[in-house]
Amino acid sequence: MTTETIQNTSKTFEFSFPTCTNEELLYKLEVPVQIPYDGSTRELVQRVIKMFHIPVYLEDELNEKLAEFVSEETKNFHNERDAKLIDQFKNSELNVESIIKNWEKQFKENVVDFAEQKGTSDEEVFAAAYHKLVHSPALETIMQVESSYAKTVMDMLKNRDEDIQKLTQKQTEEMEEKMRLLNESTTEEEINALAAQHFEQQSLAAGRWDSQLDALRHTQRATHRAWVMSAINEYQTDERVTPSTSPLCSVPPDPPLAPLTPRLEESFTIHLGSQLKQTHNIRLVAMDMMDLCSGERGDGGSWSRVQPALALYSSELSGVVLADARCALRPSTTEHHFADVDEQLRRIALAVEEPAERRNSERQRQGGARARRALQPGDVLVTRHSNLADAHVVFHLPGDVLVTRHSNLADAHVVFHLVVDDSLDSGDITSRHPAILGLRNILKAACCNDVTSIAIPLLLRHELTEEMTAAWCMRRAELVLKCVKGFVLEASGGGGAALRTLTAALPAALSPALFASLAELLPTIFRVSGPVRARPLPAA
Amino acid sequence: MDNNENCKFAACTFFAKNHPGETCGSNGLPLTPSSITILGRSQRLLTIEHSNLCTYLDIIRGKHERIIVVAEVIGKSLSEYTSKFSYEEIINISLQVTNALMFLHKQDITHRTLSDDNIVLDSNGRVKLFNYGMYYMTDGGNEVPFPLGLPRYLSPETILNGGGPAADVWTFGIILLELCIGKLWKNIKPGPTLRRILTLVHANNTAERIAREHDCFEVYKEIPEPIRNVIEKCLKIYPSERATFDELHEDLLKINTITLDDIKKSRGLMGCKLQHLYYWWQLAGGDIQAELKKNGLIKNSPPILSMPIAILLDGGTIGGKTGALFDRRIAKYSLDILKNRLSHIPPQDFYPLMHERRKDYDAIALPKIIRERDTEYQFYRLLWFQRLLHGYPYTTQYIRAEAEIDIPPLVRGDVWAALLGVVGNIEEQYEVIDKETPTPTDRQIDVDIPRCHQYCWLLCGAAGHKTLKRLLKAWLLTNPQYVYWQGLDSLTAPFLYLNFCNEARAFACLSAFVPRFLHKFFLKDNSAVIKEYLAKFWQMTAFHEPELATHLHDITFVPELFAIPWFLTMFSHVFPLHKIVHLWDALLVEGPSLPLFMGVGILRQLRETLLESGFNECILLFSDLPEIDIGECVKESIEMFRSSPKSISFRRYTNEPELKDPMDIVEVPLDVLLSETCARISLSDFFSLTCQDKCCVIDIRSNLLYEKSCIEGSINIPYSGVHLGQHELKALGVQPHKLLTEAIRQKKIIVIASAEDETAQLFSDYLVKCGAPRVCVLHGGVAALHSHVPSLFTVPKKTAHK
Repeated sequence: MTTETIQNTSKTFEFSFPTCTNEELLYKLEVPVQIPYDGSTRELVQRVIKMFHIPVYLEDELNEKLAEFVSEETKNFHNERDAKLIDQFKNSELNVESIIKNWEKQFKENVVDFAEQKGTSDEEVFAAAYHKLVHSPALETIMQVESSYAKTVMDMLKNRDEDIQKLTQKQTEEMEEKMRLLNESTTEEEINALAAQHFEQQSLAAGRWDSQLDALRHTQRATHRAWVMSAINEYQTDERVTPSTSPLCSVPPDPPLAPLTPRLEESFTIHLGSQLKQTHNIRLVAMDMMDLCSGERGDGGSWSRVQPALALYSSELSGVVLADARCALRPSTTEHHFADVDEQLRRIALAVEEPAERRNSERQRQGGARARRALQPGDVLVTRHSNLADAHVVFHLPGDVLVTRHSNLADAHVVFHLVVDDSLDSGDITSRHPAILGLRNILKAACCNDVTSIAIPLLLRHELTEEMTAAWCMRRAELVLKCVKGFVLEASGGGGAALRTLTAALPAALSPALFASLAELLPTIFRVSGPVRARPLPAA
Repeated sequence: MDNNENCKFAACTFFAKNHPGETCGSNGLPLTPSSITILGRSQRLLTIEHSNLCTYLDIIRGKHERIIVVAEVIGKSLSEYTSKFSYEEIINISLQVTNALMFLHKQDITHRTLSDDNIVLDSNGRVKLFNYGMYYMTDGGNEVPFPLGLPRYLSPETILNGGGPAADVWTFGIILLELCIGKLWKNIKPGPTLRRILTLVHANNTAERIAREHDCFEVYKEIPEPIRNVIEKCLKIYPSERATFDELHEDLLKINTITLDDIKKSRGLMGCKLQHLYYWWQLAGGDIQAELKKNGLIKNSPPILSMPIAILLDGGTIGGKTGALFDRRIAKYSLDILKNRLSHIPPQDFYPLMHERRKDYDAIALPKIIRERDTEYQFYRLLWFQRLLHGYPYTTQYIRAEAEIDIPPLVRGDVWAALLGVVGNIEEQYEVIDKETPTPTDRQIDVDIPRCHQYCWLLCGAAGHKTLKRLLKAWLLTNPQYVYWQGLDSLTAPFLYLNFCNEARAFACLSAFVPRFLHKFFLKDNSAVIKEYLAKFWQMTAFHEPELATHLHDITFVPELFAIPWFLTMFSHVFPLHKIVHLWDALLVEGPSLPLFMGVGILRQLRETLLESGFNECILLFSDLPEIDIGECVKESIEMFRSSPKSISFRRYTNEPELKDPMDIVEVPLDVLLSETCARISLSDFFSLTCQDKCCVIDIRSNLLYEKSCIEGSINIPYSGVHLGQHELKALGVQPHKLLTEAIRQKKIIVIASAEDETAQLFSDYLVKCGAPRVCVLHGGVAALHSHVPSLFTVPKKTAHK
């Protein structure tokens, strides 16, 4: 709002009364009062009477006088300020143009009556249509369609790999042949030329496949959209008709895949809060975080996609935190709903560059003014991310988070890319470490945006390395869990959806013994709800 | 019937402002969300009643900072009336509007958003202002992202970012002018409208100038002069020159010709209080959000579409939610579902008579939480309680009797005050107390308040914090004998929660509660009081849960380790508010001894876990108490309380009058009390138990003494023959074992009578260890009983015992 903060003023309330013995002699009372006064004047009178030992018979009079005084002064306060404003306006001392512009902007951007009439965006229309369809009998068809699309892409990928492999083999043979003849009938220049030629062939092939893949994805996306939109029309005109006519002939169900290897996993139900308890689930799993974000189908064939599809436009999203720049998201199947990961990251980079840089320079300035900390190496980082489009150098600090949206990942709609640096390898980070703060922001954002289940790398590392000893892991897990406990509690006050499931992921290579001790650590940090007991029935 | 007339209330909704980035308040804690601030501020509006104002019914905080305001509504808004009003009608409408605004300004509430769409008028000509508190509840618009008001009604000084209450006078003037000459600045965008208003600054006669601008100077001149005068008095450029609403009201009163007929008060359902109707309507399944959604006022955009694209380290988010626009429209609600739900209720049931035999409802057998959600049950209860509260304080005993069954949540604040005997001019008493002057305890209070029941949206806002601090300061000042013990904040919280807008009553309740339940608990040295309380609690545990008591005793898990906060705060520190209210409902009815049994009730719920746990596990368990079924706990504790003789829970440090009759006395010095496992029963309690055949007396004197003269029906187990090491009843011999097991089965109270206290205590301790419940010791032993009630004694038949 544009209203200026009201400047309070202090006015002196004066009151005089005669002494009992001498009518001529007046006691004078002066009390400074803040205008506007935000308390009760009657209470103030009581305090004054007590403090100055004023006879109680004056109470009523004082009450009346002070109330009158405050109301009069408040009125004057407003009137004088407003009169001054109007005078300033009359004398053209105010920047009226900017004031009006501001009002105009406020009304136009925030109030329906004055806003530009905007229709629902394409994105929203498609979202509504898709959401309705997946919650209709058409679900199966959709899943089949999407599955067949994915299959086509996978087939093409397979072909590409085979083709490129063939090419490589052919080239290798050719090269070997040439090498064999080196110094006999071929020269070094010829080999070099051949190598260059091979390289060119390779990149040509790769490029051709890439563009074919691109084209395929593009067509798939367009066809998918068109089909969803026409299906919803059909569905809406006649509820009884199940839009089962897919643009493709029906596909046979996927052959069941080999079941996944069993992984270390344990679940807990925890209660948080001292008086009011909130219930959350915590899942401790040793797995590769990237499994959650892979585009590959799990063991359930097309049905494993059902849950993510049903929840995509609901208010129960699932998210994944990636804390390692080395993990690049490369889903192979077509993204039917959002832009490609690369495109999303490119856009984010563009949008973030300016505010991040401004922030960084501000930090540098502030830091420089306060201490020389900012000059220390590694304090402000310019990072180059392998998961960002290569050309972009982004000004990111550890702890910054980039958020991408996906419809084609195994178990995540939202991916939080937490920017981290090498300082995480150190054994003793504190709760003020940027990565932890970033985690806090993520949990808060998750809560505010209806992400109800989220997976975090418990050790803030995806892979096990040599320096990550058992003691290191325990220490790190304890720190992260304790911080997460506080963050979840804090975030629940934010007025969004409550976090239901927190998956704490550990590196897949973790030893079972270490996993067991981490599982033991959890109940010491959280209040774990005990097993449900049958209460003995009272003896009749 | 016109659909509008059927609607009794309406709702509008908007989003509160989001704080940019991760900013912290001066106390280092995160800033309170704007919606919480609005919720806190708006509570005051809920209490305002005026014939020309639409009563606020509810302020709801939805997900994602959404605020929904529910308020009474009548008829249609002025902007919905298409036909022109006559000058008489205009005068009368204006008169009622000024009446409302006069009242608001007296309450220091500026309207600031007055417009033709929030002045509502019914077919009887009654005018009310709808949602007049937007400016007030949003702290002058600071807590919302959108500008308040409509451009054409903004006064010049408001446009220049000033504006006080006098801005309402300007707005009123414009509306009056519109009523006379038609809509102003139609189809003009906000910017140009504001520019035109500002240019009025240079005009001599603003109203005339506006009329000329709209080419209706002639029409303007035809307006009767008195009305024109009123308009011109309002549309002065300088606020100081404008008339106040008092003056305008005065003027309009002189020229008003219409007197509204008194509306006959509706009977039956429609004659009930609007707040009650709204409450029942919700219980009957009324859904505020559903109607808003139907009207497109709540649009659910999938959250994934509004996800931010990046979050910087300092918490600033980039991209994402743009926030919905503020929609001024309202959704109206019909009471049909409630009418249908209650249609079978005969008319006489709306007017229950005090001395009529009460009907029993089916719902009464259901748990309290379910009864609280039953429309019909709450309908009857609420009407009845309303009736009783009307007669307070003369109906105190009726209220107590009804409160024993349950208390309707809507009037819980009133009922508690009645149960605590709050009477008199509490406002004035509270006013006298100085709550502002700083004291040394302020710092501790400031530390504790932001940690006190902060999950409650009312208590976690600025308004809640401020009031809680005032209450605590006031209580400390009026109780100079006491000091601030941490926990006092939790104790005050339930009263504040129930009396959020009635500070004085919250204070009066607290002041009445402490002496009754926590007498001397807040002394600087409260160790004796607490020790006695815990000792008694321990005795009650041994009385009702001997096995558990023995186990906890064995692992030396003493009540000092866990139960102090339970009793010091009467459980308000360990449970959330919705459980505390049920706990205290019972407490206030049953009296100061109940908490001891509630403590036992909690232990009983954890029984299985505790029996398996060692000292460390117990410490861990109680450091963060697991979920307790409060309904069950209350039920059991009342049962225990009622089945226990009064004297066994006797405490010295209470506010009750001192007991004089030697028959009633059970008091022993504190050190003796601390050493005793079993409580003492008074002679009179023993006598009445004997008369009802509810006890089993064990005489542990020697055989010889017993045979000389004994209490009729008593069993003799000479103490000298008991092996204290063997914790089994069987070890006492066949006959005593049989008699004792039979007594335990019949739930009789086992009273130990002895010649000296020491042996009695050792033997009772032994019985507890054997797992015998309901064991107590006769105070004074056989000798005292013999001297006071010799009639109970007899000579045992020789054959009775051997």
